[in-house]
Amino acid sequence: MAAPQPAASPNGAAGQVRYREALNAALREELARDERVILMGEDIGVFGGAFKVTEGLLEEFGERRVRDTPISENTIVGMGVGAAMTGLRPVVELMTINFSLLALDQIVNHAAHIHYMFGGQAKVPLVVRMPQGAGHQLGPTHSHCFEAMFLQVPGLLVAVPATPADAKGLLKSAIRDENPVVFIEHESLYGVRGEVPEGEALVPFGVARTAREGSDLTIVGISRMALTAERAAATLSAEHGVEAEVIDPRTLRPLDLDTILASVRRTNRCLIVEEGWPHGGVGANLAALIGEQAFDDLDAPVARVTGADVPMPYSKPLEDIAYPHEAQVVAGALATLGRTAAAS
Amino acid sequence: MPRLSDTMEEGTILHWLKAEGETVARGEELVEIETDKANMTYESDQAGVLHLIAAEGETLPVGQPIATVGEPGEARSELQAEPASAGPGAAASAPATPTATEPATAQASPPEQPAAGERLKASPLARRMAREGGIDLAAVTGSGPGGRIVKADVLGSSAAASAAAAPAGTAPRAPDEIARAKGETREVELTRLQQTVARRMAESKATIPDFTLQIEIDMEDCVALRTQLKGIANPAEAGEHASAPDEAVPTYNDMVVKAVALALREHPLANGSYRDGKVQLHSRINVGVAVAAEGALVVPTVFDAEEKSLGEIARETRALAARVRDGSITPPELGGGTFTVSNLGMYGISSFAAIINPPQAAILSVGALAQRAVVRDGQIVARHTMSLTLVSDHRILYGAEAARFLARVRELLEAPAALTL
Repeated sequence: MAAPQPAASPNGAAGQVRYREALNAALREELARDERVILMGEDIGVFGGAFKVTEGLLEEFGERRVRDTPISENTIVGMGVGAAMTGLRPVVELMTINFSLLALDQIVNHAAHIHYMFGGQAKVPLVVRMPQGAGHQLGPTHSHCFEAMFLQVPGLLVAVPATPADAKGLLKSAIRDENPVVFIEHESLYGVRGEVPEGEALVPFGVARTAREGSDLTIVGISRMALTAERAAATLSAEHGVEAEVIDPRTLRPLDLDTILASVRRTNRCLIVEEGWPHGGVGANLAALIGEQAFDDLDAPVARVTGADVPMPYSKPLEDIAYPHEAQVVAGALATLGRTAAAS
Repeated sequence: MPRLSDTMEEGTILHWLKAEGETVARGEELVEIETDKANMTYESDQAGVLHLIAAEGETLPVGQPIATVGEPGEARSELQAEPASAGPGAAASAPATPTATEPATAQASPPEQPAAGERLKASPLARRMAREGGIDLAAVTGSGPGGRIVKADVLGSSAAASAAAAPAGTAPRAPDEIARAKGETREVELTRLQQTVARRMAESKATIPDFTLQIEIDMEDCVALRTQLKGIANPAEAGEHASAPDEAVPTYNDMVVKAVALALREHPLANGSYRDGKVQLHSRINVGVAVAAEGALVVPTVFDAEEKSLGEIARETRALAARVRDGSITPPELGGGTFTVSNLGMYGISSFAAIINPPQAAILSVGALAQRAVVRDGQIVARHTMSLTLVSDHRILYGAEAARFLARVRELLEAPAALTL
C-alpha cells in the first residue's frame, strides 16, 4: 500500500468512494444546501442508520432535521407525505424494501396520487430511500427486489443506482425533484467503491449510463445487475469474442428508452438482467417496449435473465442460485446469439 | 411438390394447365414444373376438383402441397393452416431464471433446419433486410435456433451474390460511384437449372484436384470415313432420294463419343466416380454430351454408348440435342452419365479445358478440326488435326492411367475402322 496521500475529498482518495459514503455525502450536501431538507427513519440518528448511510448527520444537523422514528413504516412515510405537502423536502429511510409493503398505502394511494387527486394544488416532493437485494441470508422477508412493483405506479419516480457516483448524483436530483421518488439502493453495494466526481455532479433522471460499448448485443442491467452485466461482458469479450454493450438505465421511471432502442438498433439483440422476479418484471416490461418499437431491428427475441420465481430462500446455496450471477448472464447472452457456452 | 428427379429438392410452378375449381381426370396434365434439371409436366394421379395452393412462379420444396384434388367444396384448410401461434400462456413460460438446475444455458438450442412445409422462420430484422435488399428468404439457409434466418444469413447470402462483382483487395468505393461506372445494372434471377449448374461447377472447381492432359489427333482417316459415310447415308448427290437429309451421318463428335466409350471399357477408372472417399466403378458406360441450351448448359446422356453403333449414337445425340433446345428433355435423359464429352470446336476453339461434372472422374474437351501444318516423315504437310483435352480427378485417375486412356482414344480415332464395328 502506498503511503497515504493528502485526500482529494473528505471521503478518501479521489475516485474511491464507497456507495454508502456517496449517499451520505449527497444527504449532507443537500441538508446543508436547503434547510427544508429533513431526514426521518428507524435508527438513522443515534445509530447512524442500519447501513450507516446517515452516519454523523444527526451530530451535524441536529435532531430537528434528522429524526429517529418508531418501527412504524406506514407512519414514517405518512409523515413524509404530509411534510412534503406542507413545504419540506423530506427524505425518509425504510430499513429494507420488504418493509415498504407496510407503507404501500402511503406510497401508492397518497404520495403517488395526491398531486393528481387535488388537481395539481399539492405536490409531494418526498424521497423514500430503501435498500433491496439478496445475498446476505436474510430470507424472504428482507431480500426481495420490488422495483418492478413501484415502476408500475404512475406518479412515482423510480431510481435504481448501481454505482457510488450515480447513488450520489441521483439522490441529489431526487431531493430536488417536485415528485415523489422511490429511491432503491442495494444492500450488497453499500461497501462497493467507485469514482465519484467532485462537487455538484447531479445525475438527471431519465438518462441511462452506457457502461460498456459493444456491437454484438445489448445487455440492460437493472440495479446491482448492471455491475454483474459489466463483469459478464468482460468475460464475453475475453473468452467468447462477444462484444456486449452494457446499459444501466439508472432510473426506471422516467426510463431512457431512447438510449436502449438506439443500442438495440445497432446490435439487433438484447438481454435484460434483473434480480427481481420474472413475471411482470422490469425485463418483461422493457422487452414489450423493445418489441413494440424496434421489432424490425430484432434478430432474436429479447431475452431475460431474472431472479428465480420463488420467495428468496434462507439457505446459502439456494439463495446463491436464486439470483443471477455472471455465469448466467454469459450463458444468456450466448444463447441470445444462438451459441452455447460449450460451443464457443 | 412432386419429386420429378433424383436430385430435385424444390421446384417452381411454371404454369397451371388447369384452373382453380376445374374438374380434372386422372392422368390429365395439371401443371408445368421447373426442376433443377428440366421443365416437366405433371399429371393428376386422381380425379376430382382442383384447388390450387401454390401460385405460378412460386418455388416450393419437394413434399410441400401445391394443390389438392378432391370433392367439390371439400375442406382444405388443414393443408394451408399456419402453425398455431403462441397463445398468451406461452408468454408466461420459462424466461431464463437461474433457479433451473441447469442454469440459463438450457435455453440455448442447437441450430436445426426447419421441416419442409413449416412457415419460413426469419427474425424481424432478417425480414426487413430481405425486403429492403430484394432478397428471397426462401433461398436463404437459417443458422439461428430452429433454422431461423438471422441477419448474418441474409448478409451472407447477399455477400455471396455480389462476390463476383466485388473483387477482394480493391479499395472500397462508394456503392453509387461503382454503380455509375457500370451504367445501368439490371439483376437477372438464375433459373433453377442455372442455379444447379452454378452450384455444381463451383463445387467441382473447389473440391476436385484436377489435372489436364492434351493430345493432338490426326483426323485424316476420320475425315475420310465421314466422307464415305455421308456418301452412303445421303446418296442425294447421286441424284436419288433428294428429299432425304443427311440425318444419320455421324459428326466428328459422335466419333469421339464412340471412341471414348470403347476406351472407357478398357479403362474403367476413367468411367468411375469419386464419392465419399471411395471410387465407384460402373458397369454401364453412359457418355454425357454437353449441349448449349438457351441460357444454360445441359448434358444429355448416351446410355451404353460402347454398345451402340456410330449411327445409333449419331441419331440419339441429335434427338437429345433437339429436345434440350425445345425444352422437352426429361430428367432421366439428363442423369446417369459416367463420363462427359464437351465440344466447342464448332466455334473455332482450338483447345480448352472443361470443368469436371462431379462425381465423374474426367471430362474430355474437343477442339476444332482443321487442316494444320504438321511434320510427317520429315516433311511439313497439311493434315486435318484436332485437339483433345482431358481434365481428370486425380483422386480416381492418376497421370499415367489418364494418359493411357487418352492415347487409346487417339489410337481409335486415327484408325477409325474400329468405330464402325
